[in-house]
Amino acid sequence: MARVTGGAPVADGARVRGRRPATASGLSRNAGSDVRAAYLFIAPAIIGFTVFVAYPLIRSFALALTRDNGLTDPVFVGLGNFRRLFTVDPAFWPSLRATGYLVVLYVPLSLALGLALAMFCNQRFAGVRVVRTLAYLPVVLPAVATITLWKFILNPQVGLLNTILDKLHLPTSSWLASPTMAMPSIVIVMLWGVGGTMIIFLAALQAVPTELYEAARVDGAGPWSTFSRITLPMISPIMLLQVILQTTAALQTFNQPKILTNGGPGFSTNVLMLSIYNNGFSNLGRVPQLGYASAQVWVLFVIIIAVIALTAKFSSLWTYSDNTPD
Amino acid sequence: MKTRIIGTTLACAGLLTATACSGSDSGGGADGPVTVTVMTWESAETNAAIDKALAGFQDPNVKVQRIDTPSGGYGDKLASLTQAKKLPDLFWCGNDTEQQYTSQGLLVDWSQRITGGDGDFKADKFVGSAMENWKTADGQMGGLPSLMNTYGVWYNADAFKAAGLPEPKAGWTWDEMYAAAGTLANKGGAKYGLVADQLTSPDAPFTMSLYSVSAGGAPFTDNVNHPTKAEADAKYVEGVTKLVDAIKSGAVAPPGYDASNVQALFSAGKVPMMFGGQWLAAGFQTDKPKVKYGFAPFPQVDTPTTLYDSVGICTPQYTANEDATYKVLEYLNTKVWDAVLPASPVAPPAYTPAQESYFAALTKAGQTTVVDTVKADLATEKTVGVRFTTQWAAQVADLTTAHYLPVLQGKKPVTELQTYVEKINGLIKSGG
Repeated sequence: MARVTGGAPVADGARVRGRRPATASGLSRNAGSDVRAAYLFIAPAIIGFTVFVAYPLIRSFALALTRDNGLTDPVFVGLGNFRRLFTVDPAFWPSLRATGYLVVLYVPLSLALGLALAMFCNQRFAGVRVVRTLAYLPVVLPAVATITLWKFILNPQVGLLNTILDKLHLPTSSWLASPTMAMPSIVIVMLWGVGGTMIIFLAALQAVPTELYEAARVDGAGPWSTFSRITLPMISPIMLLQVILQTTAALQTFNQPKILTNGGPGFSTNVLMLSIYNNGFSNLGRVPQLGYASAQVWVLFVIIIAVIALTAKFSSLWTYSDNTPD
Repeated sequence: MKTRIIGTTLACAGLLTATACSGSDSGGGADGPVTVTVMTWESAETNAAIDKALAGFQDPNVKVQRIDTPSGGYGDKLASLTQAKKLPDLFWCGNDTEQQYTSQGLLVDWSQRITGGDGDFKADKFVGSAMENWKTADGQMGGLPSLMNTYGVWYNADAFKAAGLPEPKAGWTWDEMYAAAGTLANKGGAKYGLVADQLTSPDAPFTMSLYSVSAGGAPFTDNVNHPTKAEADAKYVEGVTKLVDAIKSGAVAPPGYDASNVQALFSAGKVPMMFGGQWLAAGFQTDKPKVKYGFAPFPQVDTPTTLYDSVGICTPQYTANEDATYKVLEYLNTKVWDAVLPASPVAPPAYTPAQESYFAALTKAGQTTVVDTVKADLATEKTVGVRFTTQWAAQVADLTTAHYLPVLQGKKPVTELQTYVEKINGLIKSGG
């Protein structure tokens, strides 16, 4: 890479040619038209962001400062909703704990299993395409239908899993009905969709240059050394992406606890998203607490931003990048 | 070009104005009949029976239209229609919805019409406790009760016979119930002797009032609609202690037990006793249980006590024509159940003259224990509410999960009940 003094970096041997030096007036005319075109092109994105992101964000924060049921005029309560959240609500801290537990349990398992599956599917053997399809299949199936099936499988009284375990004279479990087993059960159901993680890892693995593996083989590196010294560093940027995506998704988990346990037993699976839903849109004609739910949304938003910021900040410690300066 | 654009814009605006609709805007034209819309949470079969019955409504100035809506997720649909101000003129509603919506000024107040009207459609023809429960603190009624929910204990008569136990009947005691549950547990494929969701769910504190009130003590709260206090007196604590012991011994299913399949398990003979409502009888008529079964009133300590609950029909404040809506409401309460309940005897009507067809259908189906228990429940003087209907009821459910249910699970001492009650009293004082 060479640098041209006072200009943009250009590739070695490149020459700026075929363009006349612009006159002052020509530059101004072209630049003005370019700027207009640029604004025109980015206008849809700016409008979309303003309407669908910025406005709802501001509106939800305003909502979080009110007592609003969506039916009558909202009442301004300042930070009252946040105060209630942190000091009065008996469900809030258990919700945070349940959410944290879910993240701690799910993210590492999802990454490990996704990577293991991807490495397996990256091999050359007969039927590998069928295996890849089967591994990815749960991702394209309707989530509600599969989760409902899992509910039947994990039912402690009439469930398929306990029936099989019982037939095999193995110990059974209360699964979703047990305060200690409910969250691990939910994580098992979430891992059913690990094909999504696998497919991204598979793409990353296939982008690792084969020369590196050949060189390692020539140098006598074993499978573990090859994995830890070549594969992991080369896919570490994708790993970072996966950590962020999976953590964010886990923090916003809703479908599985809603369908499988509805937050129970006790508060053991009452994750934050479920709590937000129940407060904001509670069933059976109860008056919703939109302001309070918005306050919860903001707490979740801050947590997600903090987790992403921390992950990004410390990512340089474990991700490999070849874009380091000379 | 410019003229064309302006013309098109105006035409679109005109079309939008012409086609714009507002909530419950079913008043019809100046000359045509008024359309009254109805929305239920019933199954397709029951809706078909309701349609058939509504076809008999004759009024040249009023047309009735039932809005077709799948029965699942009714609460969600109701919430979205409420927020969009598009509620139909008459919609099926729970007591808590009626109380909360009325206090927000969202529903038409029928209290004047039902107390001061002519003819038979009057307040004194309804079940007294239901009418009382549908009034707000200031006496408004945003709807009228339509069907009563009575509760009791469903039991597997075969299992009782096999275990040499007498069948439950009116006047049996809580101690007898727990003893029977202990005997029936872990027998014939049953894990627990009794599955009592009402005693172990977030509604549990209210159900436990059955014990304390029957023993001469105080209920958990003085009023579920507009409470002034909650309490757990000595009799109440005694009831909780007995339940904790029964759960600990494995006789009664603990909190967290998945009760969604309990009806199927009961039918299969794998749950010998369960708490439940009378509406299960209608299901048992179509999907007959494998076992001989019966329905008994709740056990008692000294005096009979039962839970009361009712569902009803509400009207939004913006209904187009109150007179027309009220006519259809009257028809629904006085005529429609007669046509619907014989095929599916799901609940006794709150309007007492309409109860005959319900009991006749059950008697014809041989469900005599259900007839006896429902009649006994409706006649019981001491009744307790199922749950708070206040706007802050959801917060009570959270407090119950945090403080009450751990007591039942044996994770917290029974003394924790007082902390729980204090917190609820704080909520009552602050109004949520």
